[in-house]
Amino acid sequence: MDDFERELSEAMKRQPAPADLKRKVLERRRREHAQRRQSRVMWWQRLAASIVLAGVAGGAVYWRHTVEVHKGEEAKQQVFTALRIANRALEQMNVQLEQQNRKAE
Amino acid sequence: MAGDWQPDFEQLVDEHQSMVFSLALRMTGDRGLAEEIAQDVFLELDRHLGRIESPLHALAWLRRVAMSRSTDALRRRRVRGVNMWVEINENHCAQVDEDSSPMAVRLAAKVDRLLATLPEAQRAALVMRYQEDLTPEEIAATLGAPLATVKSHLQRGLKLLRAKASTHLQEYSRGA
Repeated sequence: MDDFERELSEAMKRQPAPADLKRKVLERRRREHAQRRQSRVMWWQRLAASIVLAGVAGGAVYWRHTVEVHKGEEAKQQVFTALRIANRALEQMNVQLEQQNRKAE
Repeated sequence: MAGDWQPDFEQLVDEHQSMVFSLALRMTGDRGLAEEIAQDVFLELDRHLGRIESPLHALAWLRRVAMSRSTDALRRRRVRGVNMWVEINENHCAQVDEDSSPMAVRLAAKVDRLLATLPEAQRAALVMRYQEDLTPEEIAATLGAPLATVKSHLQRGLKLLRAKASTHLQEYSRGA
């Protein structure tokens, strides 16, 4: 290092930072931490809301499906009942026809 | 042991605020912007605090980020068409150590003005070399540049500065 470089080192010493730099940094840090905490809380709130919504929607779909299955089952039972009634009527008619045939003979 | 070291943010700010601010100030020449850069650098440090392994790591990390933030700020200003160094802030060297003589203060201001006329890469290398007292190898590691490039920037920057100083500082000496 020659004289010029030594003078340069001397002239280029670190300068003191503004007196309130640390205060400003700590203030911004506090704000940033609060914001981060807030956004974390909001994230959890959104997640919880999404889970609740998904649960409600899923429940609704399941309920609707159950109602439809129940209705289908009822309709099936009605059809079976109708078929049983028709079958009985046909059997009665058959009996009557056989009785009439026998009388005719 | 380095592994047991727990970073204390406030202590790191206390220890390194002058270094970070001075790097930003010498790179940008704008006290307001330098203060803003220093704040941003420390907030970034806070976000990376968990990854800082030792006091030396913190120092190197702060130097690297301060330089990179200052370069980004200069680039943004250039894009906006503002030449930051056209007019150096008159208060550039207003805050100095109380034990510095007025002549030393004026000399430092003069050197900063001359430094400001150098190309950005040369200025960065010289600031790291003479403000931070780093070796070319350390500067290369900090700036992420090849060693040969750093040496070339140092050599050319010093030559240019010497040439400018030979006229300006002689005038200054005569004036003083």
